[in-house]
Amino acid sequence: MIPHDLDTTLRRLQRRALLVGCAALACCLAAAAAAPGQFFRSYLVGFVYCAGFPLGALAVLMVHHLVGGAWGHLTRRFLEASTRTLPVLTLLFMPVAIGTRWLYPWTDAAAVGSDALLRHKALWLNFPFFIGRAAFYFAVWWTLAWVLNRWSARQDRTGDPALLDRFASLSAAGLVVFALTGSFAAFDWLMSTEPKWFSTIYGAMVAMGWMLAALAFTVIVAHYLSDREPVRSAADEQSFNDLGNLMLAFLMLWTYMALSQFLLIWSANLPEEIEWYLLRFSGSWLAVAISLPVFHYLVPFLALLSRPLKRCAPALVKVAGLLLVMRLVDNYWLIAPVYAHGGVHAHWMDALCPIGICGLWLAAFCWQLRQMPLIPLHDQEPETAQHEVPAHG
Amino acid sequence: MTQTNPASERAAETHDIVGSGHTFGSVTDKISSIVQTTRTPKAWYVGFTISFAFLMLLMVSVAWLFVRGIGIWGINIPVGWGVDIVNFVWWIGIGHAGTLISAILLLMRQQWRTSINRFAEAMTLFAVSCAGLYPILHLGRPEYFYWLLPYPSTMGIWPQFRSPLMWDVFAVSTYATVSALFWFVGLIPDFATLRDRATSTTGQVIYGILAMGWRGSARHWRRYEQAYLLLAALATPLVVSVHTIVSFDFAVSVIPGWHTTIFPPYFVAGAIFAGFAMVLTIMLPLRAAYGLEDFVTLRHIRNMCYVLLASGLIVAYGYLMEVFFAWYSGNHYEAHVILNRFYGPYAWLYWALILTNIVIPQLLWFSRVRQNLLVVWLVAMSVNIGMWLERFVIIVISLHQDFLPSSWGMYTPTFWDWSTFFGTIGLFCSLLFLFLRFLPMISIFEMRELVHHVEDEAH
Repeated sequence: MIPHDLDTTLRRLQRRALLVGCAALACCLAAAAAAPGQFFRSYLVGFVYCAGFPLGALAVLMVHHLVGGAWGHLTRRFLEASTRTLPVLTLLFMPVAIGTRWLYPWTDAAAVGSDALLRHKALWLNFPFFIGRAAFYFAVWWTLAWVLNRWSARQDRTGDPALLDRFASLSAAGLVVFALTGSFAAFDWLMSTEPKWFSTIYGAMVAMGWMLAALAFTVIVAHYLSDREPVRSAADEQSFNDLGNLMLAFLMLWTYMALSQFLLIWSANLPEEIEWYLLRFSGSWLAVAISLPVFHYLVPFLALLSRPLKRCAPALVKVAGLLLVMRLVDNYWLIAPVYAHGGVHAHWMDALCPIGICGLWLAAFCWQLRQMPLIPLHDQEPETAQHEVPAHG
Repeated sequence: MTQTNPASERAAETHDIVGSGHTFGSVTDKISSIVQTTRTPKAWYVGFTISFAFLMLLMVSVAWLFVRGIGIWGINIPVGWGVDIVNFVWWIGIGHAGTLISAILLLMRQQWRTSINRFAEAMTLFAVSCAGLYPILHLGRPEYFYWLLPYPSTMGIWPQFRSPLMWDVFAVSTYATVSALFWFVGLIPDFATLRDRATSTTGQVIYGILAMGWRGSARHWRRYEQAYLLLAALATPLVVSVHTIVSFDFAVSVIPGWHTTIFPPYFVAGAIFAGFAMVLTIMLPLRAAYGLEDFVTLRHIRNMCYVLLASGLIVAYGYLMEVFFAWYSGNHYEAHVILNRFYGPYAWLYWALILTNIVIPQLLWFSRVRQNLLVVWLVAMSVNIGMWLERFVIIVISLHQDFLPSSWGMYTPTFWDWSTFFGTIGLFCSLLFLFLRFLPMISIFEMRELVHHVEDEAH
């Protein structure tokens, strides 16, 4: 399917990622017996972070099918390979399901019984429904990913142009479904760690973070593979420029949502809401909180304004790398303060769990990447893309 | 069996942004002839007269308001913001489509925008003019509007910088200024075309002054392109900031139904939704009346339908989140707001909103609907109504029953509320008719550029 030397490279990467992932997770699992709470908390951060890659890729892929653009020609197969790892993500979800007792206060029957608000929410926040919903989300995502990939393979074989319209129709409906399932997954997996707190923008904000992470990862993959055919001829400056612009757009959207949530809650200063920020600004968490606007927004934002930088893939990859790191920091800041009031209590598993999960996932990604040609064979996009005026931007 | 080839259709569609067989000359002739004619169509007189009559109604309403104060409106405690603020948000939302089409689509290299941007920008300016009136009129003592500005007052009065109402003053006035500049700069080369083609001395002088000495030299064009792009980049964040701040006007408060974090993106999407609906509402009749089928093609209409559908779905997402969290939050007051929307005295307005804003626009999923211009127009009309209802639902239903049942009340707009509203529609349409008569409604030079590109591709 792909050139032999590239296949060897990917195979080697896959083996290493698997090795690192297994080793890291094995260490964590060994420690889990002694400190199950810590293990599951660290694991949740890693899982939610890693979930961003396949889920964000699914969304970005559908956005591409809807709006087109040459950047998608370069990245489509990477995004598709990423969506094909969703079954692996489902497996990786299992520990979260097992660890609900340590992660989500609403699983504690005594606490729920003595609290009117939690009793009210028990209709939604209860273990069977939580698992049922997760199963439903995964089923929906699997279906979307499966159909999109199947059609993509058929497009490679037959070059049937009718598929283009079907891609677009499915993606339109798929994005609607994704917006809903993604948001509710964010409410379930992240927001319900603090079952009394709520914010209506939270789902959109988390989903945008996923899309940003997936795009940053894709940029890195595109650059990593761009020294050899067939990716080399597709990886032109303009494509990286477009990817940079897209990354900038996602970055601004994420910041817009995060800032909106902060400003509105800060300004209203209601006890039931402000608690969330007070917790995340307390003690050394404040430093983490401040690092977000600086390194998750300001630095990459200023960098991505520069056109020469966006056209220079190695520089763009550095920005993407920074964003990937900051996505992890953001996820950590969203989840960990719930269990560590008053300041950062970093544990070695906080680092090793994400490494383990991402290692396993990366191995799955490399394996899937080898299954199909790295650049679509009968993609109509480059031709239609040329009709756009190359004047501005 | 006849089999259509979607790929070739798709390829053909890229050319469809301008009708075939056009040259530089024919584009210029077609567009400028609408302006440079001595025979004004009768329909124009009819339309302008009706609009002008409504504009006069506005003058009467405003005069009476100044005489009697805002007590002539139906607002009172607890509903202190009524139809006036509904109209403010409605108009300002409509304005956003213009900037979106002209600035954001330009930056995104969406060529199809060319034939609708001039018109949409004009619409922005007129809508912002209508919107800007309301907060000033609402002040009660509008002669003191300058107290909102941070000036070195000897009375020691200083605006509250933490209030989004105050940010509104800056956001809206900046937006109006940049939109006007953007529009004017975009018009300069066309003013020059009109100046050169004008047969009357008056026309030559007026268009000549407006063209600011444009000669179309290479250097002019170079500067021009730079300036235009910079203005586009400036206008883009303004689109978002204005409606974000409008949403903050509500969301920073603690009123149930107003204070919710999804408001900023949901308001911005709502603005785009309303704005594109209004562009379609006006563009479709104009296209038929002036025979602009070659410039505003089915592809334009299809694309606008897509934007309408997408932004409408984001708005629907906002509604859904509101309903879900009203239950999930476990907050008594939040739940009451939603139940009051569902079953309260204004419930019929809420359900009308769901019908006009969410259910009916789903028709646009079908390509046969998108090709039926009458249906598209009706859907756009439905969204115009729906977005007005949305603001009414948000503002009035949240206010009329808040925390204390003893202070609940009902709100009924008076004659003067409606006369002011229809009056601003008169203002909007009067300006629009004047624009159609005296300025090229489609950018002539950009259309020439487009014809040039299409020709290049054909070879």
